[in-house]
Formats: sequence, structure tokens, C-alpha cells
Amino acid sequence: MAIQTILVINKSGGLVYQRDFVPNAPRLSSNEYLILAGTLQGIVAIASQITPKSLQLDGKSSARGGSEPMGNNSAPLVPYMGTLGATTANGAPLGSFLGPDYFNDAFASWNGRGLKHVTTDQNSLFVYHTLTGIKFVAVSTQPTTNAMAVAVAENLLRKTYCLYADYVMKNPFYEPEMPIKCELFDQHLGTLVKQL
Amino acid sequence: MSASTNSVPNSSTGSKKSLKAFSDDIWKNKTAKINAELFTLTYGSIVSQLCTDYERDFVKVNNQLFLMGYNIGMRLIEDFLARTALPRCESLAKTSEVVSKCAFKIFLNVTPQVGNWSSSQDAFSLFLDENPLSDFVELPMDAAKELWYSNILCGVLKGALEMVQMDCDVFFTSDVLKGDQTTELRVKLNRVLKDEIPAGED
Repeated sequence: MAIQTILVINKSGGLVYQRDFVPNAPRLSSNEYLILAGTLQGIVAIASQITPKSLQLDGKSSARGGSEPMGNNSAPLVPYMGTLGATTANGAPLGSFLGPDYFNDAFASWNGRGLKHVTTDQNSLFVYHTLTGIKFVAVSTQPTTNAMAVAVAENLLRKTYCLYADYVMKNPFYEPEMPIKCELFDQHLGTLVKQL
Repeated sequence: MSASTNSVPNSSTGSKKSLKAFSDDIWKNKTAKINAELFTLTYGSIVSQLCTDYERDFVKVNNQLFLMGYNIGMRLIEDFLARTALPRCESLAKTSEVVSKCAFKIFLNVTPQVGNWSSSQDAFSLFLDENPLSDFVELPMDAAKELWYSNILCGVLKGALEMVQMDCDVFFTSDVLKGDQTTELRVKLNRVLKDEIPAGED
């Protein structure tokens, strides 16, 4: 599975970042990406409304899920994928994160009942929400519904979020909610995806 | 330490830890650090420069520090969430715990005491036993009355909490630099901005 595209959508549904990683794959025009981002934002909202109670992953309805640091309110954890982007192997620093990796634990997903992934005949699309409303979206080159692949994608997207925190939010020239044009973010995201 | 060699998904390691152990681990193993004195002195020179720039109008200095903090907080919250991936707090009590044990620990390596809850449970105080911002600091006579030296912290908290949809008032009520017994930072929750909570969560 290779990552074809990564998108970042701000909390109001605007596309702030889009990057293709597969050089000669069919691609959408920038306008179509904007539409895709807006549509996703809407679909996520609708999905969260129509998800049946029994499928919601917010601890209250499901008995599974251990006690993570926040105690009882525990959604099932996303497992940590150790092999993914273990960057100290090539000595590259991880910004404000101390090696060997951005995080080394399983983590709770913030997405309790919204859209997590979409599979078509050609592609899969994975969504990672943050508590502040930003969405990180990855499109892969192969269709997959396998739990492992979903976990890898969630790990990748959380790492993208770490990069975002380091190289976008800490860039004084970046204005929140605006399109991301940060060279360091591009560079590190490229490395991260390449390691996959 | 063994993280990079661990390719088996482990969903349990670390997940049973207390919030304190969890934040200790993040602070110790996951966060790059700078020299504390450099940090203190840098902050000191910022405050002193602001006092000069505003011609010792300390109300303006307080506001400016708050504003700077606010802008930092709005961005810093992403760093905090990326680092910890903590879920949304279900009560203000939980929030206070996360702020003191986790946020202050990770970014400043201090753990303020939480206390002085209001009767309606919508306001609490953080008692900063040690404040890395104000090491080596003595306020001059004219500043001691009005200047809240560490007011940037209020702004940071305000900005950060606002980004997770909690509209709060944050202010200092006492400071050891002014001769008070304690350094007390008050956080008052006005309301939770329900409309802005992203879809897909409660």
C-alpha cells in the first residue's frame, strides 16, 4: 500500500494542504480537491449523526477498551505501529520530539462515531480528526479494509499531525486556517511517507 | 527506548498508566528541552523590553503579555494534542488535572496544585509553587503594584482552552513577586462552545 495523496482540512472545511506522492497517478485538479475537502467535511458531519448507537466507539456504549490515562471515558485504542517511520535509524532529528519516534504508545482515537475510512475499487481514504477540528486525510493506492492497514494509516496521520504541530503551527509566518506553505513541513512529510 | 524495534502492535503498554506517569514519560522521553535559565532570561528580557516600550504603563504590558500568550496557546494546543493524544475531558475537574499534571509538566516541568474550586464547580485555581518564568526576578517598586509578571501564562491557557472549545477567563489573583503568599492563577469556565465541537465526537 502506498500513499497517493495527503490532505489537511481546516476546521471550517477548507482545504489547506494537498500533496501527491505518486508521480504519475491520475490526479484531480486543485478545484476538485477543494470540492472533495468540502464534501468530506459534510459527510463526516452527516456520518456522525447517522452512526447507530451500537457502533459508536465512545466507551459509554461499548464495554471494550482498557483504561488509558483519562480513566473511564475510553474509546478503543489505535495500536502503535513501531516500524512506521522510525526516524532515528537514519539519524534525522524529529523537531521538538525526542527520538526514536514521535510517540510509542497506543492512543485513543478522537473519532468516536464519524467517518474513519472509505474504500473504493481503486483507492482507500483514511480520515484522522483532531480535537481542534482539523482533519488529516490520506488516500492510498490500493483498496483495503484490513484493520492493520487502517491502524498504519492512523499512525501515519497522527505523525503528520505531529509534523503539523512542529513545522506549521510553530512557523511564525503561518496564519491559522490559511493554506500551508511551509517548506519544512513539506520536506519532513516527504521523508515520513517515503519510509512507509 | 525499545520503541523502534517493536513492530508488534501493542495496545496495552502504557495505557494503564496514571496521568502523572503518562506525562512524566512524555516529558522525559518525548520532548526536546532547552536550558531553563536561557528560557527564564529570555522571558525576562521580553517583559523588560515591553515595560520600556509601553513607557511603564503596566496595564498595557499585562494586556500585551496576555495577547502574546493567547497567540501562543492557540498554536501550542496542537503540539500538546499531537504529543499526548488525550481524549476530550468530560468535566472541568478532569481538565484541571490535565492542565496541571500534563500540560504544565510537559511544557514547563512544574505541576501546579489545583484547588479553590468555586461552589458551582466552574472555576478553579492553579497554585504555582515554582514558576520557571519568575526565577531570579525582583519587581521594581513601580511595577510591583500593577504588573502581572507571568501574565503570558494566562493568555496561553485562554488560547489553548478556547481551541478545544472551552471559553474561559484566566487571570492571576496573587503572585509571590508582589509579596503575596502564593502564586494563584484562576481559571473560570464561561461556557463550552458546543456548536464548534467537531462532528464525530460527543
